[in-house]
Amino acid sequence: MISFASVSKEFKEGVAAKRVRALSNLTLEIERGQIFGFLGPNGAGKSTTIKILLNLIFPDSGRATIRGMDVCDKNVRRFVGYLPENPYFYDYLTAEELLWFGGKSSGMAKSAIVERSNLLLDKVQLLESRKRPLRTYSKGMVQRAGLALALIHNPDVVILDEPMSGLDPIGRKMVGDIILELKKEGKTVFFSSHILSDVERLCDRVGIIVGGQLRLTGCVAEILKGGDTLEDAFMREVHIAGLKEVR
Amino acid sequence: MQLLWPIAIITFKEGIRNRSIYGISLLALLMLLANFVISGMVAQEVSKVAVDIALSAISFSGLLLVLFVGINLMAKDLDRKTIYMVMAKPISRSQYLIGKYIGVILLITVCMSLLSFFAAVSLLLIKFGHPTFFQRFSWLMVGLSFFFTTLMLILVAALSFLFSSFTSTSFLTFILTIISYIIGMSLNDVKALVEAPQSVGITVSPVTVKIVQAAYYVFPNLSLFDIKLQAAHGLPVPVTYVIGIVAYTMVYSVIVMTMACLIFRKKEFP
Repeated sequence: MISFASVSKEFKEGVAAKRVRALSNLTLEIERGQIFGFLGPNGAGKSTTIKILLNLIFPDSGRATIRGMDVCDKNVRRFVGYLPENPYFYDYLTAEELLWFGGKSSGMAKSAIVERSNLLLDKVQLLESRKRPLRTYSKGMVQRAGLALALIHNPDVVILDEPMSGLDPIGRKMVGDIILELKKEGKTVFFSSHILSDVERLCDRVGIIVGGQLRLTGCVAEILKGGDTLEDAFMREVHIAGLKEVR
Repeated sequence: MQLLWPIAIITFKEGIRNRSIYGISLLALLMLLANFVISGMVAQEVSKVAVDIALSAISFSGLLLVLFVGINLMAKDLDRKTIYMVMAKPISRSQYLIGKYIGVILLITVCMSLLSFFAAVSLLLIKFGHPTFFQRFSWLMVGLSFFFTTLMLILVAALSFLFSSFTSTSFLTFILTIISYIIGMSLNDVKALVEAPQSVGITVSPVTVKIVQAAYYVFPNLSLFDIKLQAAHGLPVPVTYVIGIVAYTMVYSVIVMTMACLIFRKKEFP
C-alpha cells in the first residue's frame, strides 16, 4: 500500500549551505490494513518521511509510492488523509467550513460533505462548536478538527504526524479509538509518535528510525514476545546508532 | 476550476473576516469624512478637491488592503505551514497558487466596491451642498478611476504572489511589493527625466539610462492606472485607453502568475 524504495534526502543548512542528510536509503513496505507506528528521536527523519509521502518535499533519490502510484501524482492524495504535527489552520474559518473545503477539494458532493462532516465532528466532539472560528479553539480542539479534516473524504490511507501531541488523556483515548476503528474498516494507518505506550497499544508493526536510517522494522507482537518492552527496543536502537547520529 | 473554487472561497472568507479589514475600512471612512471638512474649507474648485481626496482615500485604502491582508493570505500559509493542510488534498502547487489569487481578486473587488460606494456617497453629499462647483463633474470618470484602481491592486497582488513564490518570509514579500509599487508609480516620470536630462539641467550616465529603460519594461507602469487628474477635472478618457489598461492588467498578471507557478512548482515545504 505504502512503499519506499531507497529514498534519500538531504537538506542545506546555514549560510554555508552545509548538507545534512535527513533520510538515508529508506526502504519500507506497509501493507493494506496495517497500523504502522513510526518511532524515532527528535530530528530522526520521521516528519521528513511523511513530507515525502505527501509530496511536500522531493526525495533526492529513490521513489515513494502509495497504491502503486508515485507520490508526485496529485491524484494519489484522493486516497490519503493527513494530519500534520501541530496543525495550524485558518484563523477565521469554522470547523464546518474547514471540512467543506476538505470535502470539496477531494471532489465530494455537497450532501455527502454535510453528512460526513456531522458524523466526524460528532466523533471528535466538535459538533457543538462547529460554527466557531478555529482561532477560538484550544490546541486539542484544533488537533481534533485536523483529524476530522484528514478523514472527511474517507481515505484508504491515513497519515498522522504525532496525532496525540497536545491532547489530554481523554483526547488521546478518542484518537486511539478512531485509529482502531480505521483498522476495523480496513484502512492503512501510518503514524509517528513519541508516546510508546500508544504505539504499543495501537500498532501492528513499528519502524524505528535514528539519524535518518531505518534501524528496525517488525511486528509489535514479535518485539514484545522476547520479554522486551517497546521502550527497551527503542532505547537499544538509539544506543546502537550512537548519540552522535541523533541530530 | 472545480479545484480552484474551494481554495478561492476559503481565501476570500479568511480575508474578509480579517480584523485588519475593519481598520482599513474605518480609515477610509475617516478620510471620506475629512473630505466634508476640507471641501467646506476651500472657497473654489470644490469638486476637484473633493474628487481628488475621495479617489486618493480609496487608492490608499486599497493599497493597505493588498499589503496587509492580501500578502498575508498567501505568505501566512507558508510561514505557519497551513499549506500542509491544503497540499495534502489532490491539488497541484499551481492550482493552489491560482486558487489563492482568485480569492484575493474576489476580496479586492468586494472591498473596493464597498469603499467606492461610500466614496460615491460622500461625493454626492458634497455635490448636494455645493452644486455650482460640480458643473463639469463626471460620475463616469469617477467610476472609471475606481475601476482602474481596482485593476492596479489586482496587478500589485499578482506581483506579491510572485515574490511569495521564492521568498521565505512574508516580511520580504511585503518589502519587495512596496518597492515594486513605488518603482511602478514613479517609473514613467523617471524614464522621461533620464531620457531628457538637459530639460532640467542635469547629466545622466548612459548606464543609468539603460537601467531605467530596462526597469521600464520589467516593472508594471502603475502610473497608467492613475486618472485622478482627469476625473477631478471631468476630462474624458478614450475608450481605447480603457481597453488598453484592461488588456495590460490581464497580460501582465498572466505573465507574472505563470512565472510564480513555474517557481512554486519546484518549491519544497520542509
